[in-house]
Order: sequence, then C-alpha cells, then structure tokens
Amino acid sequence: MDTGRKAPVSHLQDDVEGEENTILIRRTLRSGQKFYYDGNVIVMGDVNPGAEVVATGHVIVMGQMRGMVHAGAEGDESAMVMAFRLLPTQLRIANHITRPPDDEVPPGTFPEVAKIKNGVVTIESYQTGRAAV
Amino acid sequence: MGEVIVVTSGKGGVGKTTTTANLGTGLAQLGNKVALVDADIGLRNLDVVLGLENRIVYDITDVTGGHCRLRQALIKDKRYEGLFLLPAAQTKDKTSVNPDQMKELCGDLRQEFDYVIIDCPAGIEQGFKNAIAGADRAVVVTTPEVSAVRDADRIVGLLEAAELRDPRLIVNRVRYKMVKAGDMMSIEDIIDILAIDLLGVVPEDEMVVITTNRGEAVICDDRSRSGQAYRNIVRRITGEQVPLLSLEEGGLMNRIRRMIGFK
Ligand SMILES: Nc1ncnc2c1ncn2[C@@H]1O[C@H](COP(=O)(O)OP(=O)(O)O)[C@@H](O)[C@H]1O
Ligand SMILES: [Mg+2]
Repeated sequence: MDTGRKAPVSHLQDDVEGEENTILIRRTLRSGQKFYYDGNVIVMGDVNPGAEVVATGHVIVMGQMRGMVHAGAEGDESAMVMAFRLLPTQLRIANHITRPPDDEVPPGTFPEVAKIKNGVVTIESYQTGRAAV
Repeated sequence: MGEVIVVTSGKGGVGKTTTTANLGTGLAQLGNKVALVDADIGLRNLDVVLGLENRIVYDITDVTGGHCRLRQALIKDKRYEGLFLLPAAQTKDKTSVNPDQMKELCGDLRQEFDYVIIDCPAGIEQGFKNAIAGADRAVVVTTPEVSAVRDADRIVGLLEAAELRDPRLIVNRVRYKMVKAGDMMSIEDIIDILAIDLLGVVPEDEMVVITTNRGEAVICDDRSRSGQAYRNIVRRITGEQVPLLSLEEGGLMNRIRRMIGFK
C-alpha cells in the first residue's frame, strides 16, 4: 500500500529532508576499502586513513573520519560532512577539494561539521540543531 | 584439536618471523606441541631464525604436492621436545601452493598439534591468501610507524572480509623514550586506528638481533625485556586477559577550522 510520502509537519518542512536515500554502514571502513552511494551515507564506525567514502548527499560518521570523504559528489554544494571526530586526509564537497593545513593541530574529541560557507569549505564544531544553518 | 594461528602484517620487516619463532618456542616451553609453518615461500627464513636450516630435506611444497608425507617434512627443534618446523620452499614461488592445499595442510596439522603457527609473507597477494586460508585466528604485527599501521589496517580489513574475526595486535619495536618525547606513535594512537584487541607490546631490543643471529629465540633469554614481553604474550594466547588501555580524551571547544583548497 503506497499512499505517497506523508507531508512533514508544516513548520519543519524546510528542515526535513527525505528525497534522497540514506544508507547505514554498521562497521569501520579500513584502509583500501571504498564505499560509494547515491544518497546520504551514515557510518556507524570509523573511516580509517586510506579508506574512501563518496556520496551524492551528506556523509555522517558516528566515529572518526580519517580517510577521504566526498559529499555532494554529483555537485550538490549544500552537502555536509559530519563526524564525531573530523580528521580527514582529504575532504571534498561537490567540486571543492580540500585538505587540512600541514601545520594543523588535530582538534579534540568532539563532533564537527564541514560545509561550504561563502564558497569555502569550513569546519566548525557541531551544535545540536544548527547543522543546516 | 589444535588451534591454527596466522601471524601477519602487510608490511615486511615488522617482526612476523621473529614473533612466530618466539610464540612457538614459548608455547613449547609450556609443554604444548607446536608446529611452525613458514608460508613465506621463496623467501624462507624461519628455519634460519630457529637455527634449523641445515636439517631441511623436504619443504611445504613437497607436502602439498604429495612428494612426501607431512611427518617427513616436519623438522624437530634442537631444544624443545614439542616444537616442529615445516619449512618453506626457497626455489619456488607463492603460486606453487594454493589456499585449498593450505586448508588441508592445516587440517592435518591441527590433528596432531596443540598450536599451529603460520608465518605469513608480507603483502596482500597470493602468499597472504595462502597463509590465512587454514587459520582460526590471526595475530597482526605492526611497528609504531604510520606506514606499518596503515598496512596493518588494510590487513585487518582483509581478514574481516575472509571471516577471520577478532584479530589481535602485537606492537613490536616500541621505543618508550621516543614515545614519551612524542617522536613515535603511542600504543593508544595505534589502537585508536586499528580498534582491535592488544595482545602485547614488544620493545625495541638489540637482544632480538643477537639471539636471532645465534639461531635462538629471545624468549629463552630470561633477562631481556623483549623476552619478557613475548612470555607475557604467550600466556595471553593460552587464555589470560589483556588489560585494555584507556584512550585519552580531549575537551570540548568551539572553534572554526578552515580547509585548504586545491587550485
Ligand atoms: N623487538 C625487536 N627489536 C629489535 N629488532 C627486532 C625486533 N623485532 C624484530 N627485529 C629485527 O627486525 C628484522 C625484521 O624482523 P622479521 O621478524 O624478519 O620481520 P618480518 O618477518 O615481518 O619480515 C630482523 O632483523 C629482526 O631481528
Ligand atoms: Mg618474515
């Protein structure tokens, strides 16, 4: 029985996304392992150095993101990368390719979000409910 | 029925052969019947490390190829009653044995031995696939270097894919002074990435080189720190628990970081 997608509660409409598929990876991606998905990806584990996650939508890592990550791989500039610990070797959003500065001191253990702000990929600490701002 | 343990690493020169020799010797010291299998075909050296090179008549390919019986190829150790070596072939390559043959070989060995320990070659190709084919458990050896840890991580992923679950880690050649000074990866750093159980930590120790050159295992040296480390590892293999290391946690800060773009 398919009644079509239920409209989200009206005042939440702008903040609820449901058009894309989302996939859950329930393990750690290790060096040499690559994951591509047409949609959003949630990793319940770490993404280790030498591993790659590529998604056309957002990438959320419930663990450490230390590998290569590409969100919005088909050009979506609103795509984000979020991780409990965001230490990517390289981070790409849409066609922006970035890497951490060579002299960067690794941040502490707290969640961060990477997104395009004013045309530049920026990382800031994740604050509940403000990821989409 | 014995247990088949493969000692593997990805990267070469991190201490697989040293570890295999020491685990074998240590387990035999405790009265176990142990078979060591040198799966590094074409680059054999477990025989040299054990000082048994001059006793080799048949090798692993003679057994898998049906040219001799398993019993004929097994070389008895000089010192320990229960310790045996199945040497690798030196004049052949890794394709002269296949995973099915290794499975069968391990199946035969575990009938007779309490522990079968396989010394895996470096790399992730056929030699690796052969070495893990008949194993029940894996011990991953790494050194505190970024490249060795990266390779170990690759290996853990491949072991998982081959359904060899819960590999355990040995960190070899640790120099505590360097770790303290922040010039070497700490055990915490390594565990943080690999996220597997720690079986033990072996310090950098010149006694390893000295004993190896004499064809002996450092575990026989009562005074060396590396020997003590291997004795602890052997006990853990026979069932003792390893205390878990606590990981350091950083505080929460609100900060903005910028990434560098590629032109
Ligand atoms: N803890 C250690 N301290 C000092 N030297 C070591 C230690 N472990 C291994 N070595 C030396 O490192 C070299 C490589 O070790 P080996 O066991 O042959 O590595 P692999 O089998 O992984 O290639 C050897 O010369 C060995 O004597
Ligand atoms: Mg070796």
